[in-house]
Amino acid sequence: MESIFCYRNPDATTSAGSGPLRGTKVALQPTFSVAGWPTEAGSQALDGFHALEDAALVERLRAAGADLVGFTRVSEFGFGLMGNAAGKALQQEQAAAELVLDLSGEARLAAARAGSCGFKPSYGLIPRLGIVGLMPSLESCGILARKVKTIGAVLAAIAGPDERDFSLPAEPLPDLAIGGIDPRQTSIGVIAEVLQELPSDMLANLTKELAGLKKMGFSVRELSCPDFAQNRLVHRIVGSVEASSCAGRYDSVRYGKRAPGAKNWNEMYLQSRGAAFGTLLKSYLIQGAFFQFERYPVYEKACRLRGRFLKELEQLSAQADFLLLPTLAADAAGEPATLGEWYAQAAHTLCANVSGRPALHLPPIFAGQGGGFQLTGPRRGDGRLLALGDFLLNQRQGGE
Amino acid sequence: MNYSKRHFCGQLTADHVARTVQLCGWVDAYRDHGGLLFIHLRDRSGIVQIVFTPETTPAAICRESAMLRAEYCIAVSGEVKNRLAGTENPHIETGRLEVVVHDMEILAEAEPLPFAISDKSMVAGAETTGKEAVSEELRLQYRYLDIRRPAMHHNLLLRHRIFQCVRRFLDERGFVEVETPVLTMSTPEGARDYLVPSRVHQGSFYALPQSPQLFKQLLMIGGVERYFQMARCFRDEDLRPNRQPEFTQLDLEASFIDEEFLYKMIEELTVKMFTLGGITLPRPFPRMTYAEAMDATGSDRPDLRFGLRFVDVTDLFVNTDYAIFRQILQRGGCIKGINIKGQSDKLSKNVLQNEYAKEIAPSFGAKGMTWMRAENDRLESNIVQYFSEAELAGLKKRFAVADGDVLIMVADPSYAIVTSALGQLRLHLAHRLGLIPANSFHPVWVTEFPLFEATEEGGVTSSHHPFTAPDRTDFDPKNIEELLALRSRAYDLVVNGEELGGGSIRINNRDLQRKIFAALGLTEEETKEKFGFFLRAFDFGAPPHGGLALGMDRTVSMILQTPSIREVIAFPKNRSAACPLTGAPSKVKREQLAELGLLNLGGKAILPGSAAKENLLDRVSWVSRIGVNAEERPLLEDILRQSRELAAAVETLAVDEEPIRSPAPAAHRLRPGTEAQRSPFAASGQLFKNAPAVKGDYFKVATILE
Repeated sequence: MESIFCYRNPDATTSAGSGPLRGTKVALQPTFSVAGWPTEAGSQALDGFHALEDAALVERLRAAGADLVGFTRVSEFGFGLMGNAAGKALQQEQAAAELVLDLSGEARLAAARAGSCGFKPSYGLIPRLGIVGLMPSLESCGILARKVKTIGAVLAAIAGPDERDFSLPAEPLPDLAIGGIDPRQTSIGVIAEVLQELPSDMLANLTKELAGLKKMGFSVRELSCPDFAQNRLVHRIVGSVEASSCAGRYDSVRYGKRAPGAKNWNEMYLQSRGAAFGTLLKSYLIQGAFFQFERYPVYEKACRLRGRFLKELEQLSAQADFLLLPTLAADAAGEPATLGEWYAQAAHTLCANVSGRPALHLPPIFAGQGGGFQLTGPRRGDGRLLALGDFLLNQRQGGE
Repeated sequence: MNYSKRHFCGQLTADHVARTVQLCGWVDAYRDHGGLLFIHLRDRSGIVQIVFTPETTPAAICRESAMLRAEYCIAVSGEVKNRLAGTENPHIETGRLEVVVHDMEILAEAEPLPFAISDKSMVAGAETTGKEAVSEELRLQYRYLDIRRPAMHHNLLLRHRIFQCVRRFLDERGFVEVETPVLTMSTPEGARDYLVPSRVHQGSFYALPQSPQLFKQLLMIGGVERYFQMARCFRDEDLRPNRQPEFTQLDLEASFIDEEFLYKMIEELTVKMFTLGGITLPRPFPRMTYAEAMDATGSDRPDLRFGLRFVDVTDLFVNTDYAIFRQILQRGGCIKGINIKGQSDKLSKNVLQNEYAKEIAPSFGAKGMTWMRAENDRLESNIVQYFSEAELAGLKKRFAVADGDVLIMVADPSYAIVTSALGQLRLHLAHRLGLIPANSFHPVWVTEFPLFEATEEGGVTSSHHPFTAPDRTDFDPKNIEELLALRSRAYDLVVNGEELGGGSIRINNRDLQRKIFAALGLTEEETKEKFGFFLRAFDFGAPPHGGLALGMDRTVSMILQTPSIREVIAFPKNRSAACPLTGAPSKVKREQLAELGLLNLGGKAILPGSAAKENLLDRVSWVSRIGVNAEERPLLEDILRQSRELAAAVETLAVDEEPIRSPAPAAHRLRPGTEAQRSPFAASGQLFKNAPAVKGDYFKVATILE
């Protein structure tokens, strides 16, 4: 079995801080800069790269007293779950929380595999400084833990404005406290078009969850959103264009590996970049370059579709406080190898990345089996969403 | 207006006072004193002040004069007058005079200028204007305006004078100017050719000449005896700051002469040319053999304006205990050094160790550099303790060391590395320490170049070209050692470390020429294919001959002491071999390529300038600079097929919402402070630790263009 970690902190318990995460073991991916650690983001393009300073969120973890256990193995730039060990450190109890970059659902899908909780925070909540990103408008630093409360504690430690981050929206930190939930005051929506896609066994499990929620007193509503599936199209186009643009920096000049023998710098770029990226990422970058350089109007139209999708979600939010979605897709079996296969597996998780909304994966609560489900709510409503998750998880674990 | 009575602005003198003159030119500068308008009128000859005054100038002309702006092209007539005492302008030749305008015609208006042309103040005592630095790119883009500036005028005029001087000089000595073709065959000069496709013979190309070498030799065989040409030559070489893709050389060749004839004549001509720039060159020019030049300065273009000659100290260390030197000498290496007299104040231990030994010397290819400073009659250094008293005493004697001197030494198993690194250090130190006297000119002939250089494959190649005569003819063409020891009858004229020109006595004997080709490893067939027409000419009684080519752009630039050769060329290319004025080189239409039979030439290879890469994957791979190998192609072709499907799917959707690029707009923040800051990681050098290649304080990349 391959090891979970690609780098282990030789002195894991040095952050002797006294903060709220004191003694909490946190594993993270090498997509988050840790000073002096090989922050290679799973890519040859950053081969041998040692971060010069901590990412903003890593600084905050240290300040909160967390013990950084090490870097877990990651797919190239964290995209997809191929060769990705996310969730395993939790499973084997080597960490109480894991930070997993969620570009298209990675954190939530890894949680579903590991049987833990997985959370993608709202867009703009966590400073990006020091994150080796690939799709700036879609990705977020995801948090995996067994308990929702742990997720909440980590989120509270790392969220909030950062003066040095020029990509964050100018918004104050929302209230992230995990309060109580009154089921009778809370409505949960499901999208009819999504349910129709599900095979019968998955639908049966989800129906059990919905029945359980109703029994608890939640108001469960079936809503309609005919264009819902378009978010997948948007993600695949916008994500690839952003990736193509972001990966421009991997030019073998300031870091990475230089392919030998280039006669001029165009050749240097072609050869070094050609050798740097793995098959899946290269597919994605080539696709992105196609939209970026050959069919830009299509990218722009994808951005318009994104605008419409956000509006439609607003309308759904007026009808229900939270939306419940499956996490795993119908054909989630097996290790995805190609772009098409990965997008098929991530079919239900993409929408939170496209919309910038928080999404929480929970293991099965009432169904007793199956892959669990996701809850999502309005952007910046992370505290309430986690409160709901915590409430439900406690039902499952019998108030543990 | 009739121009027949035109006077030139700069040529008006006191003799013209009270006469009516007609002038044409450009408004260099103007000063409006409310009704009284002063203008500097400039033509090629210089500047004169003209005055529009209501007292004498007709009212209509005065009104019209108010419209004048810089660089309007006008014609005026008026009366020459002495200026009032105290209003003379010492900045211009005609500063005691002015012309009071009677009549004026605006010949052409000028738009606001991209940069100032005037460099003459209108008032006595004021600073000279037009001093602000204009980017060279902008100057080249508006070269016609740039040429209006007197400095450029002066450069072009001097260039003309020098060219005239050359022509007259050579004409007087029986040289005939003959033009050779520009559309020709590739010649063996070693640089890359500019090629011109032939429409008539599709798939075949002319080459632009890198020099008229073959033709001038054919002219000798043709019995012209003495030929010269101001030849335009073309070389598609790597870009260097002071090089042009096309350049002018004085190309000459003479029969029945020897080296001494050329040395004498070229010296005389060079002296004459430099005299035009007010520079006196010492005669006779000294001569150094290639070996002497390398031995003493590490360069075959020795800069003799300053000392810092190399001293060989290899023999002092044959029995040394200093391990580094011992190992180098065991491997057949050598040790050379320079005494930098009296500079220890400027070359501290810190500078010598941390800058020179650690950074500069390695960047010049040396593995290390040893330094010593002479203080209190002792040699001080970080490693002086490893040397014996005898060795130190030997050094002091060999370098004639006095207190305040600094010794630097380079040791290496390779003679080439020692001389090359020390040669570059010599130049570096001379510039840094200001040891190069201004306005000094030191010509030198460098002679006895090696005829051949060794190739990596174990053979030899011509150092110059295969028609250069060797110093002796009784060599064995199969003996590589012997071949490498041969000297050529070639010579270079070097001034201040710059090669102005060079040439050689050529081979005129068929058998010797064959031997040279044999030494180069060329078979009869290859020789015939490469040089057939040329060698055939030698079958018909070739006279002994030799010649030389002198880079005229470089020579004029040196005489005028301009910062670059572009200053003495009317329409030069910029540093990236492009012309900002015309936009050359430019793309051409596919039809043009088709007409020349250039489409699909060379199979799948992508043609320069062709409109588009045919294959979508090639195109996307190129624009995103991501190389794709054959193995990946099928998968990526499929990705692009999927991408086109995605595009088609999106295109069918109707949507009129505004596009959004992120779920929430980024805040517009300003970094605190107003000054650009250097990252502390750059200052500490940590930034470079992740880089695959670094040179000094920079990231190192491949050359921009091949």
